[in-house]
Amino acid sequence: MASAKPYESDWAFEARLRRRIRNLILFSVGLLISLLFFFPVYLMFSSSFKSEGEIFAIPMHWLPHEFQGLRQYQFAFEQTRLERWYINSLFIAAVQTIATVFFGALAGYGFAKFRFPARNILFLFILSIMTVPFQILVIPMFVLVHQLGWHNSYQGLIMPGLISAFGVFMMRQFAYNLPDELLDAARIDGASEFSIFNRIVMPMLKPAAASLAIITFLFSWNSFLWPLVIAQNRDLVTLPVGLTYFSQSLDREPLWAVAMAVSTMATIPVILLFVFFQRYFIEGMMVSGIKG
Amino acid sequence: MGLVQKRQYYGLLFVAPAVVFFLIFFLYPIVIGFGLSLTDFTLLKPPVWVGLQNYQDLLNDRLFLKSLNVTIGFVLGSTVPVWFISLAMAVLFFQRFPGRELMKVLFFTPLLPSVVVVSVIWKLLLHPSGILSSVIGPIVGQMPIKWLFDLQLSPIMSVVVHDWHIAPFYMIIWLSGLTAIPPELRDAARVDGANALQSFLRVELPLLKPTAVFVAAISTIRAFQGFSIQFVMSPSQGGPLDVNTTLGIVIWKYGFQFFRMGDAAAISVVLFAFILIFTLFQLRLGRSDDFSLS
Repeated sequence: MASAKPYESDWAFEARLRRRIRNLILFSVGLLISLLFFFPVYLMFSSSFKSEGEIFAIPMHWLPHEFQGLRQYQFAFEQTRLERWYINSLFIAAVQTIATVFFGALAGYGFAKFRFPARNILFLFILSIMTVPFQILVIPMFVLVHQLGWHNSYQGLIMPGLISAFGVFMMRQFAYNLPDELLDAARIDGASEFSIFNRIVMPMLKPAAASLAIITFLFSWNSFLWPLVIAQNRDLVTLPVGLTYFSQSLDREPLWAVAMAVSTMATIPVILLFVFFQRYFIEGMMVSGIKG
Repeated sequence: MGLVQKRQYYGLLFVAPAVVFFLIFFLYPIVIGFGLSLTDFTLLKPPVWVGLQNYQDLLNDRLFLKSLNVTIGFVLGSTVPVWFISLAMAVLFFQRFPGRELMKVLFFTPLLPSVVVVSVIWKLLLHPSGILSSVIGPIVGQMPIKWLFDLQLSPIMSVVVHDWHIAPFYMIIWLSGLTAIPPELRDAARVDGANALQSFLRVELPLLKPTAVFVAAISTIRAFQGFSIQFVMSPSQGGPLDVNTTLGIVIWKYGFQFFRMGDAAAISVVLFAFILIFTLFQLRLGRSDDFSLS
């Protein structure tokens, strides 16, 4: 049996070696590509701590040589109405998120658990809305909001995104799986339909509501076209629109370090959501794919 | 009417706020959108009925025809490469190897900044005296490279930036598709003597068909709406010389720069037709249980 042992360990050695090589290749390829993808984001962050002169240093400085601390951030707040843009974006996103989740759950539950006249045709109507992107609606929506006298107002900014068809659809899918026995038991106990929604349905829809809340917040936080056309008033500028003031200036070179500081500020809430709610974040992103 | 029957009407109450909202903020705009496309309208005076004149004019409209070309180019560049890159990355991250989780997060980061932020970052990267110019310039023997001002390069850069931003999103979709394949199938193929590539092409890829159709259709539908990157990153909103003027940018230009709302509405209808075709294509090819992604 003495001869079997070296043979076995040879075989094990070869398998181990092969696995090591495979791991090394996967590691190298993965590292190369992920660093390539990460680099622009890193550049945004590191540039926000550089001086304007250092931005175009050749070869580039991986770390700021003249570290500016938060000076560019402070400058952004002093020279622009950054805090106003920030508050506007947060406010609009908060209102749209709360409304989308609440009305989405309400309607989703209604479609999932009740059989009322015209239910199918109404649900089909909601489904058809999802196939129409906002690009196509922007002209008539603008005309409508003008007719309502809501241009240059928070109503005008918020209303078109107050409820999303996708939110209704997503909540219906989840509400559909709620156990009917539980709802019926509550009815037998004499609970009203609204308290059933409040005390039983809403709590059970929480995971779906969390995902919906995150993608609605992101969608609103990132939205650009609508705020661009509807809010000319400088008090109503949102963060994405405000950011373009830095990159669009034609008469002089943009202040790139400040622009990177504002970009970083605009990305921080998203990073926080990603870090603290990763599961809901990813799930929300995935289901939002069907939103188109 | 029994008690159970009556209870069902509560459903109507629950869906009413959403339905009323969509009647006002979806159906009504859709209707006036079609209506406006048949008129001349500048916002200042009431619309003037012109019938199909706007659509007829589009056939000879230089900017519109140019934007059709630009949009088709952008759609091609934003779908085919994204499909392959995101699939390749999903297959890579599906393997087990040291450092995978950290790399996955790094690869995912381009998705976090908004499209506008992304466009501003890349505007700096692609600056004539920027990093990419200083690194690649010496290699191709041209300094500085004016990425965003070059008629050929500039639309390519819009595609590069878009693909960089969105590939992680589709990678996640592919990855969830791969995870859903029962491991036994893969093992069975390997036992039967298939190598990794064969098992991928013969076993996994066919099972990923719904995901494949989904990624292809959704990325196409989204690419048709291209607007923000071209608007923010290119000089003069869609330039130089309109090589980045997508249908979305033309709608914005006609609507909000020239205040030709009728023409803008007509282009919106045309864009809608394009998107509808691909939506129907998706609904037909992809199964309706795509929602199992969640």
